[in-house]
Amino acid sequence: MGPHFTEAVEAKAAETPGQKEEYLMKRILGCAVVIMFLGAAPLLAQSFEGNEYDKGETLYKNKCQFCHGIRGDGKGPAAEPLLGHSVDFTNSKFWQNDVEKKIEYTIKKGREMMPAFDLEPDEIKAIISYMSHTFKKAT
Amino acid sequence: MIGEKLRKVFFLLIVLVLLQLLPLNTAQAVPSFARQTGMSCNECHTIFPELTPFGQIFKLGGYVMSKTGKPYEFPPPLAGMVQASYTDAKGLISGVAPFDSANRATDKINLPQQVSLFYGGRIYDKVGAFVQGTYDGVSNKIFLDITDIRYSNNTIAWGKNLIYGLTLNNSPTAQDVWHTTPVWGVPFASSAVASTPAAGTIIDGALDQQVGGIGAYVFWNNLIYLEGTVYRTAGNGITKPLGAGTPTEQVVDGAAPYWRLALEQRWENHFFTIGTYGMQADIFPSGNKSGPVDRFTDIAFDAQYQYMGTIEAEHMQMEGEHKAGAGKHIITAHATWIHEKQDWKASFALGNTANSSDFLNTFRMNLNYYYRSHLGDIGGSTGYFSTTGKTDQLLYSSIPVDGSRTGSPNSNGFILEADYRPLEKYKFSLQYIIYNKFNGASSNYDGFGRDAFDNNTLYAVIWLMF
Repeated sequence: MGPHFTEAVEAKAAETPGQKEEYLMKRILGCAVVIMFLGAAPLLAQSFEGNEYDKGETLYKNKCQFCHGIRGDGKGPAAEPLLGHSVDFTNSKFWQNDVEKKIEYTIKKGREMMPAFDLEPDEIKAIISYMSHTFKKAT
Repeated sequence: MIGEKLRKVFFLLIVLVLLQLLPLNTAQAVPSFARQTGMSCNECHTIFPELTPFGQIFKLGGYVMSKTGKPYEFPPPLAGMVQASYTDAKGLISGVAPFDSANRATDKINLPQQVSLFYGGRIYDKVGAFVQGTYDGVSNKIFLDITDIRYSNNTIAWGKNLIYGLTLNNSPTAQDVWHTTPVWGVPFASSAVASTPAAGTIIDGALDQQVGGIGAYVFWNNLIYLEGTVYRTAGNGITKPLGAGTPTEQVVDGAAPYWRLALEQRWENHFFTIGTYGMQADIFPSGNKSGPVDRFTDIAFDAQYQYMGTIEAEHMQMEGEHKAGAGKHIITAHATWIHEKQDWKASFALGNTANSSDFLNTFRMNLNYYYRSHLGDIGGSTGYFSTTGKTDQLLYSSIPVDGSRTGSPNSNGFILEADYRPLEKYKFSLQYIIYNKFNGASSNYDGFGRDAFDNNTLYAVIWLMF
């Protein structure tokens, strides 16, 4: 407790016991609100991340799923006829090293059979968020 | 007069050159599908319009694969095509269609044979289209050509991929992704002025652009394709726009069901398909729109083989460089057999046929080979075709050139074709058709002294896409 709080309580001590109790209750409630807010911050952050996740999911389904598959295993319906291989996101080796930069680079520039995509930076970030939350867990 | 023709030809050539120079894409001016996906034409085509296995999936996927994050395409996915051709066969004259207004149907030079504008690509989200509007330089008409509008999605069913969708199209088999069925079958281009055999099955082009059909399809595990579509005459109702510009010569009574089943299997770079397709249509005799009908039942079997070559390993490792989905050597083989049962319930009573029922059997097969060199793609095709059926003196009567002295519909022959594609959007083809038998006979087939080999046709076509 800080000196100002102690002084304030001592000042209130001169008042009636009821007034002192009411003052303490207000303080405790104030602290509780602050603590609750701070405690909810990760949840709020998670909800914002959830929006990005949803956006990433939509983009993945529309842009990536046809080749890389619903399960991210590189076995989408368009992967079968390709002579090259479609990357398996569920393979733990895929997520080694600086993978997010590699994904971003590949989306922007293309690789092997995969063409370059004309996506905004936040769209690429959302796709990576969806991929890492969905397929990395499966490793 | 000649000077005016030359000016028009020169003007057309200038327009074509300017179209080629349009900055349609930062990388290269290629058609709308390539612009939409950012992929090379070679990804989806061996030599256009023949599809690779990946191109088949792109089509089944509703033409909606796109490199952008938006649910629509801007600018709209438009593309164009020009065909100019030269035909040499007995009976043709040295006119230039469409400028020789006297008789375009017998002009040797067709400049253009055809000019088309395409909407090819995504409309919105999971709905895409291949819509072709064509100016026919020989008939001097504009019409809605091959049209296929789709909704498509994909999911997992029984642990495997499932593509499912809807198709709205105006020609039976236009929606098919294999090149064994009629609309997209070999040859991919042919003369608009040469004589062709009189007999053909209903599913083999007789209803093209005269019907509208809506169907549903599934493709499971890249193995089983199943489709059902129902067609009706495009002369009225909601399907009317699908027949725009094409006179309705075959009026279907009610709905005509079409079915398709195909099995595809891949072994490394080899793709095999076997399948069956067919339809049943009740059609009014020519000139009628009510009353008794004739029934046509078509049942067909087909097979396709594609070898897509081998991509060099070092190319597969290069980052930031997009590689085409096929090796240097590409081989494709197609075969189809169509049996048609013809019940002339109406026409026999009217005295239009000599028999109450007839049949036709059509068989076609061909082998294509393409080599992708640094000077462009070069290759060709060799094929055999045959139509046999029941003799009917009234159905196949004796008239000059197109008739039959014997009343037999039997025709057969060979097609040889050489193709060269120096760039993705240019294609040159030289084709020669040899007839052993034409409308029932090899010599004096029409009863007016014309022999089958008089219809042998040399056809050269320049095919430009932009």
